[in-house]
Amino acid sequence: MDSLQLGSYTFSSRLILGTGKFSNADVMLDAVRSSGTQLVTVALRRFNRDMAEDDLFGPLSAMEGITLMPNTSGASTAAEAVRAAHIARELSGSPFIKVEIHPNPQHLMPDPIETYEASRILAKEGFLVMPYISADPVLAKRLEEAGCASVMPLGSAIGSGQGLGTADMLSIIIRESRIPVIVDAGLRSPSEAAAAMEMGCSAVLVNSAVAAASNPPEMAAAFAGAVEAGRRAFNAGLMQRSGSAVATSPLTSFLGTGA
Amino acid sequence: MITIQLNGKQETLPPGSTVETLLPIIGSDGKSVAVVVNDHIVRPENRSSHLLQDGDHIEILVFAGGG
Amino acid sequence: MTPLPDWLTEERDSRALASMLANSSPASLEQLAAESRAITLRRFGRTMSLYAPLYLSNYCSSGCAYCGFASDRTTVRRRLESDELQRELLAMKKLGISDILLLTGERTSRADFDYLRRSVERASKEMQRVSVEAFPMSVSEYRKLAECGCSGVTIYQETYDRERYEALHRWGPKKDFIERLETPRRALEGGIKSVGLGVLLGLSEPVEDALRLYRHLRHLGRTWWRAGMSVSFPRMRPQTGGYEPPFPVDDRLLARMIFAFRIALPDVELVLSTRESAPYRDGMAGLGVTRMSIASRTTVGGYDDPESAEKGQFDVSDDRTAEEFCLALRARNIEPVFKNWEPAYNGPSHTESTQTEREEKEPCH
Repeated sequence: MDSLQLGSYTFSSRLILGTGKFSNADVMLDAVRSSGTQLVTVALRRFNRDMAEDDLFGPLSAMEGITLMPNTSGASTAAEAVRAAHIARELSGSPFIKVEIHPNPQHLMPDPIETYEASRILAKEGFLVMPYISADPVLAKRLEEAGCASVMPLGSAIGSGQGLGTADMLSIIIRESRIPVIVDAGLRSPSEAAAAMEMGCSAVLVNSAVAAASNPPEMAAAFAGAVEAGRRAFNAGLMQRSGSAVATSPLTSFLGTGA
Repeated sequence: MITIQLNGKQETLPPGSTVETLLPIIGSDGKSVAVVVNDHIVRPENRSSHLLQDGDHIEILVFAGGG
Repeated sequence: MTPLPDWLTEERDSRALASMLANSSPASLEQLAAESRAITLRRFGRTMSLYAPLYLSNYCSSGCAYCGFASDRTTVRRRLESDELQRELLAMKKLGISDILLLTGERTSRADFDYLRRSVERASKEMQRVSVEAFPMSVSEYRKLAECGCSGVTIYQETYDRERYEALHRWGPKKDFIERLETPRRALEGGIKSVGLGVLLGLSEPVEDALRLYRHLRHLGRTWWRAGMSVSFPRMRPQTGGYEPPFPVDDRLLARMIFAFRIALPDVELVLSTRESAPYRDGMAGLGVTRMSIASRTTVGGYDDPESAEKGQFDVSDDRTAEEFCLALRARNIEPVFKNWEPAYNGPSHTESTQTEREEKEPCH
């Protein structure tokens, strides 16, 4: 499988794993291991002495070949996201930042205006900006022009497991983009991840689908296989679908039978 | 004594406290936390010299699970 | 030698098109026609946008082996002076034409940038929409043209086969393949709203040319994503100068190309000129093509003086009047559209460069 390039970073895995919603840190770490991922998302939280094992930095940074991509979840404005990004970089030492700004905690829909503004500022500061957005092709182009390292449109609402509900818009974004397109959010099954990769996505980010599976490490491995299969299929070039039915009165009779 | 806001909660500390002396009090080894005082990040090398003032807002942050 | 850019040679981008154009394609011409027609109907409705070419000048400094206006031809050279241009514009308006393409040869002292700019300025006072098919220009020249009312630039690569290109363009400024390839980008950077690309079918192996043309369009579309784009399918006709096209394209292959481009590029204007015969154009109307030229004269001054015996750049095949042609379209339930925009929108586009390297505006005189 060909590698994924984000900024100056090269990844052989095209699966990005989120670390939220796992039953405990050990299961999460097992899932990270069996997924073969090299890029994992983490969130900034207030330190709490009673939940010291929640701190993931130690165990994740002890794992070989893992780059951290902190997100800005919790931010509801561009200014908050920029501040979170600065703190996150301090802690992770990684230039990656997943800009995630949702003003409404019920739906967790990304705010396009605040996301654009934060991404523009952070890209100028040298971050590898990975904005989580609705599947909006124009916003994707604007973010590309703003200097983002990728765009991460949602497949469907975050945590919904509704799959590639935005497939039509995703295919436009993929077709028009000059930066990697990573489907983030909404996937439930490995076959959906494979479908996203077959469409030409550069990578897939999953979290809930793995964390909420009965056996998260096994599901993480299944996603890894699906992402690889989808990418290889994309590289191999899918057969074209056969054309539509032939009209009853021929459209091309004016051409004659020709050579 | 000085009064500070720590992660949204009021705490009192002896005068002369620094960021470095604060961390063990709250149960952190200081290794994988970011400390923000009044919206300014205090880097690890400055923690011992950063004196805390009455009324400071302090945030101590870690990485937790997130997607 | 400058290597070819990756976007031109990267085959992955054009795989779907390649499979439709391949000899071994499982899709029959009839299947492609049906799909192309359905897409065209959805995206453009039952309309055909119409334009006419206006030859400003046939002076030329290049030696294109296939062209009737190449600088070694004995053709009488002339250019339209401003009063002649005005008469020509009025004659075209009488025919119902309000969307025009101004043409010149490669840059010469008789037909240089200033001459072209003055012509654009005059034409945009009379016409709803003015486009230009002339010599390659600099970004700042394109910006000046845009400010004077030019909203489209047509610039064909002719062929994307570099070796063939260099052999066919025997001398003159057009000889540089890469320079030509970069021209549409400069037009868009200069604020031109829409670019028209094409290959001159007959010069080189047509399928490979079509695939490279497609990749050029995709590259421009991704970079200049606000821009409009069109593709023309000029097929070599007998030329002044008697050049025999070495790779003739038959009716069915041309149709296959048009259908395949429509399927691969649902939103792009596809253009078919009066080089093609009346039955061919009528047959293709509604199946993929969305823009056609009408009542074309390919001589300098040909509208005001249609009886002139002068030889044009190429011979027109569909020589119906605008009225006859519109009647034929309507008979096929297609509405001819002369005005699809408002001249108020004809200013330069707002590209990134307008914000960053805004140049001194030169007043239009």
